[in-house]
Amino acid sequence: MNEWQAIWTVAMKDLRTEWRSKAATVATVFFSAVTLLILAFALGRDESAMRLAAPGVLWVALAFAGLISSAQSYQHDLEEGAFDQLLTLPIPRVAVFHGKLLAHVVTMSLLGILLVPVTAVLFDAPVQTGHLSLLATVVLGTLGFSVISMFYAALTANLRARESLLPVLMFPVVVPILLASVRATEAIVTTGDAALAGDWLQLLLGFDLIYLVVTSAVYHVVVEE
Amino acid sequence: MTTTVQSAGRPAWLNALAFAAVAASLFGAYLGLRVSPVDVNQGDLIRVMYAHVAVAWVSFAAVAVSAVAGIVYLWRDRPIADVVSVAAAEGALLFGALTIVGGMTYSKPTLGTFWTWDAKLTLTALMVALLVGVFVVRGLIADPVRRGRVSAVIMLIVLASLPLNYLAAEWFRTLHPAKAIDLTGGGVTIEPVMLNILLFNVVAAGLVFAWLLFERIRLGMQEQQDGDGQAPSAPAEAVHV
Repeated sequence: MNEWQAIWTVAMKDLRTEWRSKAATVATVFFSAVTLLILAFALGRDESAMRLAAPGVLWVALAFAGLISSAQSYQHDLEEGAFDQLLTLPIPRVAVFHGKLLAHVVTMSLLGILLVPVTAVLFDAPVQTGHLSLLATVVLGTLGFSVISMFYAALTANLRARESLLPVLMFPVVVPILLASVRATEAIVTTGDAALAGDWLQLLLGFDLIYLVVTSAVYHVVVEE
Repeated sequence: MTTTVQSAGRPAWLNALAFAAVAASLFGAYLGLRVSPVDVNQGDLIRVMYAHVAVAWVSFAAVAVSAVAGIVYLWRDRPIADVVSVAAAEGALLFGALTIVGGMTYSKPTLGTFWTWDAKLTLTALMVALLVGVFVVRGLIADPVRRGRVSAVIMLIVLASLPLNYLAAEWFRTLHPAKAIDLTGGGVTIEPVMLNILLFNVVAAGLVFAWLLFERIRLGMQEQQDGDGQAPSAPAEAVHV
């Protein structure tokens, strides 16, 4: 089994268990919906302010949902000792990381695709054009969030107080990802400036790659034992 | 174990370093408060800058020292490297917190508000948050080897995220990313006298950091010898900060 097959197999395992249990799906879909509602109430009655806030609100909801599902992803594996068995397989450990990351990016991107129209309706933001670049933003943005959240979920999986620890560790690191994602979304939805959106997307891709390389290089340290 | 070990083992150069650090800080303060000319725009407030900028530069250098020591620990597995990494991280946390306090005091009279979302101040706040995360995680891991390796990994990510966070903080309030890059320092020029006083204060702050660093390294090494792996080798973990 080469590394690509290993990544694919681990990703399919995670997606299959999620397809059967639907635990993370139910939790993240409703959690992000409730986050959108809470933020809509918090931001008040001014329609133009809500329209301006829509891209930020979308990414806050996605970031919180991704946080929950990445912690759950490792929790499922750790129960019954499945994760230890995964590590004894004759495949590189970083392939486990990339496989779980791939599954997480797929589920979170699907959630993002679902949240875009919901946010657009709730916050009265127009999404007429730029669907492809919006899709690219959702995929690249969730990739950036997932790299950091899945890495820190592995790091905190065995620690006490991991639920509160994960956001403390993760959020200061994902600030550049959040900023680039929100600005790219803003450029596509609010101003319709394709060139500006392209610039932010390139930056987002760069941030994603830097974080992916750094976390992949040290992942084996985090899961050793 | 005994108090005699501590008093007998204290090297003379550490006392000399402590003396040099205190003396340089005092002289730096004198230069900043009495010798420096009054600034055209800011008046006497420029004197805050000497302390604030010096402390800020040292805090970022401390993060780099800590991360490099962490990489050495991952690479060579020497316990001393972890001790150095923790010592530098604690220094970075102290100097980072001082940077935020100094920045806010400086910002209130010059810009009229305590918090301006200025790129450098925002970056420092993020850095302090990242460092607190390192110490929280350290406090939760009992095995010294695992604790050292995990905290080295987090320090590495902290170091990698700082340039990206800086860009994010710079572009936070700007519309377009590429147009906001300004390598000329915004056209701000500084009087040679003022620059020299600033550089002297940077050296003084660096000496204070070096003194605290070596003092903490010495403490950490004694803890490792005394603890024999039973007690956590780095107590106090600075979670209380």
